[in-house]
Amino acid sequence: MEAVSYTAQWTAAARAVETERESGALFEDPFARALAAPRGFELLEEYGGGGLLPFIAIRTRFYDDAARAVLAETGIRQVVSVATGMDTRAFRLDWPEGTVLYEVDHGGLIQEKRARLARLGASARAERREVSADLATDWLPALAHAGHDPNLPTLWLAEGLFFFLTEEQAGGLLNTLAAASAPGSRLVTDMVSRQLLRSPFNQSFLAALKKDGTPWRFGTDEPEEFLAANRWKTYEVREPGEPGAGEGRWPYEVQPRARRGVSRSWLIGAEVTGA
Amino acid sequence: MISTRIDEVRAWILSRHPERESVASDENLIESRLVDSLSFVELVYTIEAAADVEIDFDAIDIQDFQTISAIEKAFFARA
Repeated sequence: MEAVSYTAQWTAAARAVETERESGALFEDPFARALAAPRGFELLEEYGGGGLLPFIAIRTRFYDDAARAVLAETGIRQVVSVATGMDTRAFRLDWPEGTVLYEVDHGGLIQEKRARLARLGASARAERREVSADLATDWLPALAHAGHDPNLPTLWLAEGLFFFLTEEQAGGLLNTLAAASAPGSRLVTDMVSRQLLRSPFNQSFLAALKKDGTPWRFGTDEPEEFLAANRWKTYEVREPGEPGAGEGRWPYEVQPRARRGVSRSWLIGAEVTGA
Repeated sequence: MISTRIDEVRAWILSRHPERESVASDENLIESRLVDSLSFVELVYTIEAAADVEIDFDAIDIQDFQTISAIEKAFFARA
């Protein structure tokens, strides 16, 4: 598998750890342990600390809740998981009748995930369509070929993706998604603060990611402005530990926005705006 | 033993790690994961309050935060 798939493995490992909590798990992903092989737990150990485990758990639950809320509140029935990795929402969540879920990622990952889920006897709870595509290229045609209709509103899920991009690529991706978004389309995503990438305390974690071929590059201290500049108006920006984002499960104080020097993660909901 | 202001920093570290009874002055706080990137900001505020200093986040030298001894030397030396 390609290097970025290691990220999918350790993310799955973190989801397995959360699922196997004795009590109070934020979600249950019964497939995560099998999807974390072969290196997920080893990488999680290497990268662990710095709130990574509770963050993945809180982030996963945030997306679960956000996806359910969007489909309940809107007529949106096409969902696109961009750089889906080892996400199993198609198999875990209840989806409204008529929902079509597109999972976009590298062909190698898509094939491996399909094989593992088949061995586990997993069955999707919505119509699920795999889209093998390289996100560094023009991938919208592949999505359209799989049946995505840009004239109907879309819910885009882009989980754990933006920090791997450059700022230019991040803005480009937001515009690409907007270009394929009918009015009313929504985006659920996450980003990190610029300070998280600069903090001396994060350098060993960031160096390990870089060594493994998956460096983190992009962060913003003003997610609302960054999204607005690239055609998305935020309706929800939360930090881990806040109500609706793992309150009570985050082992750190949530720092006021005005405080400088804070490593932050943003959990974001946004709606597309005109060009 | 007379409590000194650096003990406020030690107490903060121990309050975050109830499994620990003590932390040595020369123990590496980062390698031992007693302090990480997210709790670091709380450490800085604890030091600022205890030492009555202002720490510039843009000019932080990680060496000053490696151990309790280093913190004492960097921020409490004028006491």
